[in-house]
Amino acid sequence: MDEFQEILEDFLVEAFEMIEQLDNDLIELENAPDDLDLLNRIFRVAHTIKGSSSFLNFDVLTRLTHNMEDVLNKARKGELAITPEVMDIVLESTDNMKELLEHIKQTGSDEGGIDVTSTIKKLETVLNGGANTSQTAEKSVVEEQQVRSEEAQKDVSEMSEDEIEAEIERLLAQRQEEDRRRREAKKAAEEAKKTAQSGAQEAQKTTESKKAPEKQTQSPAPKERKSSIEQTIRVDVKRLDDLMNLIGELVLSKNRLLKIYDDVEERYEGEQFLEELNQVVSSVSLVTTDLQIAVMKTRMLPIGKVFNKFPRMVRDLSRELHKEIDLIISGEETELDKSIVEEIGDPLVHIIRNSCDHGIELPQERVAKGKPPKGTVQLKAYNEGNHIIIEIIDDGKGLDTDMLKMKAVEKGIISEKDADQMSDKEAFMLIFKPGFSTASQVTNVSGRGVGMDVVRSNIEKLNGIIEIDSEIDKGTTLKLKIPLTLAIIQSLLVSVQEEYYAIPLASVLETVRITPDEIQSVEGRSVLRLRNEVLSLVHLADLFDVERVFNMGEHAYVVIIGIAETKIGLIVDSLVGQEEVVIKSLGEYLKGIEGIAGATIRGDGRVTLIVDVGALMDMAKSVKSSMQNLEDSMRKTEKTSPADYNILIIDDSKTDRAIMKKALEPLGVSVTEASNGIEALNLMKDSSRSFDAALVDIEMPRMDGYTLASEIRKFNKFKMVPLIAVTSRTSRSDRMRGVEVGMTEYITKPYTPEYLMNVVARNINLNVEHTS
Amino acid sequence: MSNQLEQVLKKQKQQQNAPQEGEIENVIQLVGFMVGDEEFAVPILGIEEIIKPIEYTRVPKTPPYVLGVFNLRGSVLPLIDLRMKFGLSRSKENEDTRYMVIKHNEEVAGFVIDRLTQATRIKESAIEPAPETLNDEQNLIYGVGKQKEKLISILNVEALLKRDF
Repeated sequence: MDEFQEILEDFLVEAFEMIEQLDNDLIELENAPDDLDLLNRIFRVAHTIKGSSSFLNFDVLTRLTHNMEDVLNKARKGELAITPEVMDIVLESTDNMKELLEHIKQTGSDEGGIDVTSTIKKLETVLNGGANTSQTAEKSVVEEQQVRSEEAQKDVSEMSEDEIEAEIERLLAQRQEEDRRRREAKKAAEEAKKTAQSGAQEAQKTTESKKAPEKQTQSPAPKERKSSIEQTIRVDVKRLDDLMNLIGELVLSKNRLLKIYDDVEERYEGEQFLEELNQVVSSVSLVTTDLQIAVMKTRMLPIGKVFNKFPRMVRDLSRELHKEIDLIISGEETELDKSIVEEIGDPLVHIIRNSCDHGIELPQERVAKGKPPKGTVQLKAYNEGNHIIIEIIDDGKGLDTDMLKMKAVEKGIISEKDADQMSDKEAFMLIFKPGFSTASQVTNVSGRGVGMDVVRSNIEKLNGIIEIDSEIDKGTTLKLKIPLTLAIIQSLLVSVQEEYYAIPLASVLETVRITPDEIQSVEGRSVLRLRNEVLSLVHLADLFDVERVFNMGEHAYVVIIGIAETKIGLIVDSLVGQEEVVIKSLGEYLKGIEGIAGATIRGDGRVTLIVDVGALMDMAKSVKSSMQNLEDSMRKTEKTSPADYNILIIDDSKTDRAIMKKALEPLGVSVTEASNGIEALNLMKDSSRSFDAALVDIEMPRMDGYTLASEIRKFNKFKMVPLIAVTSRTSRSDRMRGVEVGMTEYITKPYTPEYLMNVVARNINLNVEHTS
Repeated sequence: MSNQLEQVLKKQKQQQNAPQEGEIENVIQLVGFMVGDEEFAVPILGIEEIIKPIEYTRVPKTPPYVLGVFNLRGSVLPLIDLRMKFGLSRSKENEDTRYMVIKHNEEVAGFVIDRLTQATRIKESAIEPAPETLNDEQNLIYGVGKQKEKLISILNVEALLKRDF
């Protein structure tokens, strides 16, 4: 009873949430009847409510939603136009649905709440194109109901508990029998709608008679539950979300604080106050980490909350399908973030239904194959690092790859050529393609093929991965790998030119360092031979149209990303490292940008984008390699004479600049002058010129040499440019500071012209002997 | 007792009269700024804050006028170059450049403007709808405010924050 109550409560919460959304959607739909996404969403709500209510044995609700679903399905396929008349009926049925749910909430049953036959009739009318009018509720039914209501009028209050139990049993049996007969009546009858009104009256009568016994059985349950309620507080999820956001901020600030502490420590080594600062900083960072874990824990729910509804579902399914199925659940105590627990329910329902419907064979078939007549479906959950793994294993007939390929070709999802080249694992993944359904007929169980592609997109939305493995007559294993929390993920930070991107670590299989000549070209596409595999490559810069300001160095890195069975290599300029990032949305204005899943704020306060691996792989298919162009541009910048080298001299004193210029004259290089740091930085940033080296004075107005050097080094393209400090500051600490900010060499004034010339020539790899 | 009652009645009367007075002087407060050579304004209530330029991150696959996203105390906001949005060349950043953070309902975004001018009050009656010829398809101009010596284009905050790609 308790278990059932829990499922029922979950169902009600979910259903009310969905209906709230449904109302808005429906109203929007009237304004934009051609919005297919909207229709699909509405359709799925009806579909889900139908699914859940049929497992909970709410026949009236199931019948209503089933008809609604049919109508919406027709509209979705474009076979039915959404006219205001149709909309009225759909809205009416939504209202009915709401009333039924309200009734279920109060009494625990949907029977006798309100009469929906007239609405269903209308829905059917719409469904049949308006020509054939009602086929329901015929006279025979009315007679049935009259008989029953008389019987039910027995005085319930005088019965003993056993008698009531028996009476309920009897009424239920009668009801089922009635339903069966009604269905038969539906088929047989041809008469028109005159019975609609009388039907409604009858239904009301039955309401009164039915309510009494039901209320009695319901009453003990709430008392039992009361004791456990007080242990917990219901908190609005939004508050927890806000809390999580704030923690995210705190984590970022903590990272900054740690960085600043490191700087301070270097500068004031050995000072008394450092020790105190150290203590404060470490305690803040410790508390922040604990706080983060604590808040994450408040959002964690055991996955058992989702698993609980499956035993009943499988039992009902096996009865309906005339199969014998055992459901074995393990790991239900494994905890997951609330938002994920909510999202994971629907996909799991679809998967388990599929396993029962398509996977497990009928008992006689199983015996013929030498298997025990009773099939098993295993549902396992366990932790693996920062992920939770959910496995759904059945010992059914397995997936037939040839059959899958044939079906996919038939439906035009893949070409025959694709089918031939496909590996078994890729063929298994076909079941997740939109429009692919192996069920040849529509049943109450397997739905209409909306299932599996929705499963996949739902899992991918959670940054999860689906793996599938199957063997004919042995069974099928579906493995879902899902991050523990949505808000904070482990990521691999990479850089492309001047831009940084974060790749969710869950999708990163490995990284390799390559030289440009390891990249081969096959049919105009770049590929990499890695061990025994040929991997197609795509440059992240091509995917995201990154402006190319400098060429690929001696090495590039390939990040191999994979979802399910497909993988590609992503070329990036460098790997920055692994970092835990707090995911932030890009907001309404920028949402849904192809290839971008969100953004995060790094320790230095800058925003870094998080890539959407799934979308990236789709994008990669249509991107042309620009590797060829890159080589061309490389050749163009080849230096042939000393005059091709460009040296930037930065000094506020005109005399000093002149001296340096004179010293470099014998080299024959070109020289550009700047009188302060800001001017120099702007000159360097101006992409029309490139400098091979810079001579930097330290003491300058507006921006000094140290600041300039650290600013320059912030750009990836200037990481390798030699910066030579030319200064009269000679102390050891000045030299140290120069090295810290990224100076390549340190020349102290006064210097000989030859010395300066040699240092510059060495740094730009110019052969001095030829020119001097 | 009757004295008190009289006072209450008086107060009520005052309250009833108050809104009417407000209606007569329906004044909108605007913040004016330059984009290119033209002066624009937005209602002050639509402005969340005005900040000096900070670093932003480019977002790929967006139109050129979307410069990217920036971090405003932990929120990631889009940054839109108004010059480019209005078909002018890209803004060159200088000392007067500001990011104007504008909010409408739940939508927030930063807009790059060349220079702030001044905050003005203008009577609603002095605002005329944008002339037909000026009325672009995006409906960016809410109206034209007439002042003593000049005209000022008042931008439609809602349209500014509407994604059009």
